[in-house]
Amino acid sequence: MREKVNKLRIVIPSKTHTPIVNKTNPNAQPFDKSLQKNTQTIKKLLPSEDILSYAFQTADGVDCTLFYADGMVNKELLGTLVARPLSFLELKERENEGGRYALNEETLEKTIRFPELKTVEALADAVKEILDGNTLLLVDGLQTGFIAGAKLLPVRTVTEPPTDVAVKGPREGFIEDVKTNMSLVRKRLKTPELRFETVRVGKRSDTAVAVCWLEGTSNPEVKAAIVEKIKKIEIDAVPDSSYIAAFLSPRPHSVFRSVGTTEKPDVFAAKIVEGRVGILVDGSPIALTAPFTLNEDFQTSEDYFVSPFMATIFRLLRFVSLFVAILLPAFYVSAQLFKMQLLPLGLMLTIASSVLELPLSPALEMFVVLFLLETLKEASIRMPKYVGMSLSVVGALVLGETAVSAGFLSTPAIIIVAFSGICMYTVPDFVETGSILRWLYLLVAGGLGPFGIVLLSAFLLYYLITSDNFGAPILAPFSPLNRRDLRDSFVKYNMQSLATRPNLLASPNKTRLRVMGGKKKKQGENDASDNND
Amino acid sequence: MQATTTIDPDFRGDPKQKDAVVSRQIALFAAFVLPIYKLLEAPSVLARFTGGDLLLPALLHYVFQTGVLIALLVAASRSEKTLFERLDEKLGKWSLAVYISLAAYFLFASILPLLDLEKFVYAAFFDTAPTLFSFAFFFLFCAFVCTKGIKAMGRIADLSLFLFLLPFLALLVMALGEADFTNLLPFFEYDLTHTVSAFSYTSPHFSDVAFLLPLIGNLRFKKGDGVKIGVGYGVGSLCTLLFLGVFYGLYSSIAWREHYAFSKIAQYFPALSVIGRIDFLFVYMLCIVLFFYVAAPLYYTAHFTAKVGKLRGKTAISFAISFAAFLFVLFCNKYYDAIYAFFGTRLFPIFLVFSLAPTAFLLLKKDRAKPQKEAPHA
Repeated sequence: MREKVNKLRIVIPSKTHTPIVNKTNPNAQPFDKSLQKNTQTIKKLLPSEDILSYAFQTADGVDCTLFYADGMVNKELLGTLVARPLSFLELKERENEGGRYALNEETLEKTIRFPELKTVEALADAVKEILDGNTLLLVDGLQTGFIAGAKLLPVRTVTEPPTDVAVKGPREGFIEDVKTNMSLVRKRLKTPELRFETVRVGKRSDTAVAVCWLEGTSNPEVKAAIVEKIKKIEIDAVPDSSYIAAFLSPRPHSVFRSVGTTEKPDVFAAKIVEGRVGILVDGSPIALTAPFTLNEDFQTSEDYFVSPFMATIFRLLRFVSLFVAILLPAFYVSAQLFKMQLLPLGLMLTIASSVLELPLSPALEMFVVLFLLETLKEASIRMPKYVGMSLSVVGALVLGETAVSAGFLSTPAIIIVAFSGICMYTVPDFVETGSILRWLYLLVAGGLGPFGIVLLSAFLLYYLITSDNFGAPILAPFSPLNRRDLRDSFVKYNMQSLATRPNLLASPNKTRLRVMGGKKKKQGENDASDNND
Repeated sequence: MQATTTIDPDFRGDPKQKDAVVSRQIALFAAFVLPIYKLLEAPSVLARFTGGDLLLPALLHYVFQTGVLIALLVAASRSEKTLFERLDEKLGKWSLAVYISLAAYFLFASILPLLDLEKFVYAAFFDTAPTLFSFAFFFLFCAFVCTKGIKAMGRIADLSLFLFLLPFLALLVMALGEADFTNLLPFFEYDLTHTVSAFSYTSPHFSDVAFLLPLIGNLRFKKGDGVKIGVGYGVGSLCTLLFLGVFYGLYSSIAWREHYAFSKIAQYFPALSVIGRIDFLFVYMLCIVLFFYVAAPLYYTAHFTAKVGKLRGKTAISFAISFAAFLFVLFCNKYYDAIYAFFGTRLFPIFLVFSLAPTAFLLLKKDRAKPQKEAPHA
């Protein structure tokens, strides 16, 4: 189990706390001097069973109460650093005020000695902190609440992400906790220019969305536009970063992604250094980056750890594989139905003999096989692992083998779909889009043959060249053409040739690296890089 | 050297750069989009009239078009404003007449490419008998193309570098081994009347400057733009001439019967009998460029119509124009030969006039001394 380890993590409550309530909201009321009244109010506001309170007295007999969400706090730490010191507190030497001993904020802060302690004045703020996993301490006679940051959230350990496995290179992956993810990025970019701006999104979930950028390197217009768009999101809850991605897309109905995704902090950091803006969402291990180009889908982190020749071969392989994955079933169908010349004679005869007595037309046959593939894929993801083996046997042997021997499907169709399925996973980030496109192409191939395939390709290309995302065309650097950015596209140049950041990102700091002994820049040229590097 | 940036001009909020094309895109359009239609039906038409001398009328076209292109570029270089902006200033409301005539011309110029494309699609994409409406989906594509701004045309040009060059070179390499260039000899075998006939019949294929006018007309001319566009046009011309030479070298006396040349030029490559007609993959790649080329006149019609009508959205006009074109093709494709002959014998002067017309921009007043360096955007 990847999620087996729970670790203790103490979270510092946010210093720049923004109250969610305004003056018209009754929750904005301040604390009462009476602890009893405050307790009643909080229980009224938070009637849920998992919001617990722990009442105790100081040695002097002053009533205190702790409020916290069950399962989200470190009770041991609270007992040791908060409840115990207070229960031993005696202030008899102090002036007696109305029959009770004075216990003010200063005394309390000195007594508790909790590493993360802050005060809140409004009930609404206190409620929000409790819901966020912090603990509220109320003392009878004081109109101030004390927030102790003793969060103990159930978080995964940092492991290698299953969707982005690297043979060479770092293996750390993001987890569901945004603070941990921020620290993973900070660990790689130890520069004061790395900035985070947290925006709270979701009326119910109040999810922290951290926008991350490198000051002086990321395009400030892009950063501002992203923050603006996120601030405008009105939604009940944000369970995953994909919800944020949907709101950042200029074409929400598009089958193509408009925001980059990664589960790896090293990739995320590299994209931030390139000049992109990153987005981390609490509760999601998938980080977003923008602007995004389709070219990014063909790049992997390993490309930068192996020789440029190998990286180029891998990228071209991915590109060709993706086209094979999407187009092969469609071309197979259109070759049989409309353009037999596409197949060499020998192969055509083989296919003809295998499809001779099939009850289904080529298009319908391919549709059935593709449907089987997608079903098996979906089932294997959802199915418990202990029945996975059975699924393989049923899927591969019973369905495949038997369907062929029963004369229901042909062997070439199964081979083609299987190969297409394998090829699709050479570009894992494109699988969802690729699957949809494969169905679309199959549909047009069945109806219009190769003409439909070419026409749909032209249509998609035109659709893509007119797609821009935060100022960056999605097909860049191919359209609009940028010679310099082509050095890190399908052909990967060596590291020394990638001395400047991609032009499409319009970074104010162009210089990424300087080759030792390289040509010195002229005075005044690219001043931004000199200032920021 | 200061790096250029490709951030979208719209995003930067620069209204001057909105919906603009740059010289690189025009150059690529001239180099890799314009030649595609000349590789379709023009080779067989040229071969029909002039046999091995098919390069001669093509050369005549290029000399004529190059002269007009130079004039147009000179006119464009004389101001920081675009040609169309200057036209609007000079003629005021009367400039609408120019746009109306351009819209009408491009609608007229789309006729032959559409008819050619329909025939080509049925020949190259189908071994079986296609349905009557198989080609109709192309007009949906045209309508979609027409809805976008002129910037999209520029980006098509960028993409054509990959979509044209790779398959073109691949097909040429496959064909070169089988070509016999002695078929082109002797030169000047046919008399001038044949050359003139070939010239007139292929005027619709070679009226390039008119095709470039909407792009150059929207260009803010900078230093070096003229050379770029000129070189682009030169590369396109060389591609076409080279293709014509190889095509005739391959087919010789039966070249006039070989329609849709680029789909057939590599068919005798020996390996194809073993591995199948993989040359079709390259042909299909070229077809994507061809689709954009054929959609371009309709696009220009929609563009100028929207300009005349001061329409903000082009969706309705785009679909109307595409539907009109569809109806025309649907009802007139059976008269293909008659229409072709009518264009070659009677209507070809219209293409020449509209090719020559851009020289009139030279009459516009010069308002700057020297063009500046190119603006940093694409």
